[in-house]
Amino acid sequence: MKLGIVGKGGVGKTTISALVAQTYAARGLRVLAVDTDSNPNLALSLGLAPDTAESVPVLPRSLVVGTGDGAITPADLLTRYGVHTPADVTLLNAMAITQAGAG
Amino acid sequence: MRSLLGAAIEEEADVTLVDMEAGLEHLSRSGGTLAYADVLLVVMEPSRKSILTAARTIALADELGIPRVYGVGNKARLPEDAEFFEQVAGEYKVPLAGIVPHDADVVEADRRGHVLTEGRGEPVKEAVRAIIEFVDRSLVTSG
Repeated sequence: MKLGIVGKGGVGKTTISALVAQTYAARGLRVLAVDTDSNPNLALSLGLAPDTAESVPVLPRSLVVGTGDGAITPADLLTRYGVHTPADVTLLNAMAITQAGAG
Repeated sequence: MRSLLGAAIEEEADVTLVDMEAGLEHLSRSGGTLAYADVLLVVMEPSRKSILTAARTIALADELGIPRVYGVGNKARLPEDAEFFEQVAGEYKVPLAGIVPHDADVVEADRRGHVLTEGRGEPVKEAVRAIIEFVDRSLVTSG
């Protein structure tokens, strides 16, 4: 199931996102959180320390919109780019999707 | 065509949550993997402007073919805030998934950059659990 969360700045969107993700994870489900922001706010809300939050690898645009041409598997994608957080949620940073020409 | 991220979402996760910081409009121009959702939650604060923005997002999500779009009222400090959400969301036809109270523990956890620990922010956790139950029910009963 894919759940999108939107909202203008300041409404608490990131806090709600982290709590929803954490609550699903606490039920024993495999939860993936995808951040599309250039600031690592979601990473912090999921409990990563600031230096770790800054170093979450950016998912290349070619893997967000393309297939990666068979070079890596979906499981590899999570191993290479996913970061496990204290909220027991795997975090992906897809900020490149919002930057023209990136990745 | 399914992207590699799309495959990872379908095969390697039970629930994928996309924090759409960039906004629905921007993501919709960047391929379907991140713009499409089974359920979209629009977080609002207790202001008319915020609820109006949610109503506009719902119209856009409808155009993108997202089947279930619900508002979440956040930062409700007073019973009047909850009433306000119910009333104005009704006016703008924003279906509510739930209302989350303002909570000092959440503000403090945000300040420290920590997740909410056991026994902290219980009213907020309870509200989030209710929203998840609403979302799960919506998946069974519609779309």
